[in-house]
Amino acid sequence: MTTTHPRAPGGRRGLHDNHPLVPYLFLLPHAVFFLVFLVYPIVFGLYISVHRWDPLSDTQPFVGAEFYLNLFRDTPQRDFFWRTLINTLLFTAISVPLLVATALGLAQLLFRPIALRTVFRSIFFMPGILSVSVMGILWRWMFENQSGLVNNVLGALGHPTIPFLTTDGWAWVPITVGTVWWTIGFNMTLYLAAMGNIPTSVYEAAELDGASGAQKFRFITVPLLQPTTLFVVVTTVLASLQLFGQPQVITAGGPARGTQSVIMYITEEAFSNNQFSSATAMSFVFGLLMLVFTAIQFRTMARDIRGGDRT
Amino acid sequence: MTDPLPATRLPTTPVPVTDTLGGRPLRRRGPRDLPRFALLLLLALLFLAPLYWMVSTSFKPEADTIAVPVQWIPAHPTIDNYREILTSPDGNILRWAWNSLFTSVAFTAAHLTVCVLAAYAFARLSFPGRDAWFWFVLSSMMVPGIVTLIPSYIMMIQLNWIDTFHALIWPGVAGAFGVFLLRQFFVGIPRELEEAARLDGANHLQVLWFVILPLSIPALATLAVFSFMASWNNYVWPLFVVHGDLQTLPVGINSFSSRYTTDYGKLMAGTAIAAVPVLVVYLLAQRYLEQGIAVTGLKE
Repeated sequence: MTTTHPRAPGGRRGLHDNHPLVPYLFLLPHAVFFLVFLVYPIVFGLYISVHRWDPLSDTQPFVGAEFYLNLFRDTPQRDFFWRTLINTLLFTAISVPLLVATALGLAQLLFRPIALRTVFRSIFFMPGILSVSVMGILWRWMFENQSGLVNNVLGALGHPTIPFLTTDGWAWVPITVGTVWWTIGFNMTLYLAAMGNIPTSVYEAAELDGASGAQKFRFITVPLLQPTTLFVVVTTVLASLQLFGQPQVITAGGPARGTQSVIMYITEEAFSNNQFSSATAMSFVFGLLMLVFTAIQFRTMARDIRGGDRT
Repeated sequence: MTDPLPATRLPTTPVPVTDTLGGRPLRRRGPRDLPRFALLLLLALLFLAPLYWMVSTSFKPEADTIAVPVQWIPAHPTIDNYREILTSPDGNILRWAWNSLFTSVAFTAAHLTVCVLAAYAFARLSFPGRDAWFWFVLSSMMVPGIVTLIPSYIMMIQLNWIDTFHALIWPGVAGAFGVFLLRQFFVGIPRELEEAARLDGANHLQVLWFVILPLSIPALATLAVFSFMASWNNYVWPLFVVHGDLQTLPVGINSFSSRYTTDYGKLMAGTAIAAVPVLVVYLLAQRYLEQGIAVTGLKE
């Protein structure tokens, strides 16, 4: 250990040790960035949403709840906001069960020792580190009408080509399949870690009672993994609700807004239509919805923290 | 999800993914595992197929990318796609990669510095308002990113930060997650070590630097990898705050893709260039990344 002597008496000595300001100095850098780039934008956003904010104008007249009410009146904003919100919820409803069940299945396949286990784990995890645009471009190519790999395989099986990217409904397939491929490894890793926490004695006891592999999975693994499942579900729901990059890159929201997500629409309203106030109001409404899910997540996590402190 | 949580809680000792199952011997049931191995192999091949298809396409001349029947192995392998996109004035891939690298390194360094200092205060110092501020910071995790996107963008305009590195680096520096992760880790470090250093006359910064940080390498590495990846793969924010020469790789590669919508050979070469560095980093940091996800995901 490096030995250091207290500084010579003088002005600086005061800040050396137990000066009451010292803790605040440690907090200061974080607090500044936190207040400026997180707290202030929220307050500023509230201000923007109740004014008519025009980047080219000097005045921003107060309009009250107008932009919020527009989401419930006969306006294009209402039509597109709710339609893209339904798109987003639909994607969430389809992708979350896939992402949870498949991840659990993969983890179950990989938990017990098997040859090349580490290699398999890496292969399933690896796509998740690609950026969303790489993943999106890749899957757009996979589902390309004429020469994409998927249609080629379909063709080889004697099936006519499906124009996935441009057909209403079908366009969700590349987005969902790509997302599963992209993010499944993350959930799988969470499950693998949780499975490692189940004491082997529980399984041994079940084996003595003659439980089959399927029974052990059904009556031991699944119930004991329930806290993890809750966590995985909530985080996956949150990630799915924030859908943006995949449809942006794979289908550009098409055909005819069929795969536009609510965040895509909000950014379109802000950055293409220059309707910053309207877009901010929408983001607050949508943020409130997400807050409900995050609150659940927060309570789940708080429970885990308390559990951790006791040991 | 309708069932209530079970009364039994999982043991909380972190057991990272290891190659043993408790004390059970490995390969106890060798032959019966053949179907499981075959299934895993099939799934792994399915997972690798898109990546293989990317690499394979990137080495094909344009005519061969749309050849029927499909060429699994390029019939006329060429590196022209790579050569052309690396020298083409349309898409400056190397410039985007540099932007991403610079941004990610600067962001990670700033993020870690800011979070380490705050986490030390929260974990080791007592002062009025500490717990209230800590919960205030934590509660910010509940705010979805979309809520701050537009006001932050307008702030960038007002600060004249559009199309500068400042816009890419500073806004995300003060996260709650980083402070939380480090604080939880610091709390677990025995106080005796710190007290010995204090007796030797070390001040708080010295305690942090010489005692706490060396013992916190796993947490720091986890946070560093997370921050780097988050910044490297960030898409939404850079899409709106930087343009042209300052674009980062994920955004640049997508703008580039609208130029080559039909030339998938070039597009896949560009995608491969964007993917390979991050795959290499992953293979190097794999252990930290997977354990970091497992541990932070479940414990925090």
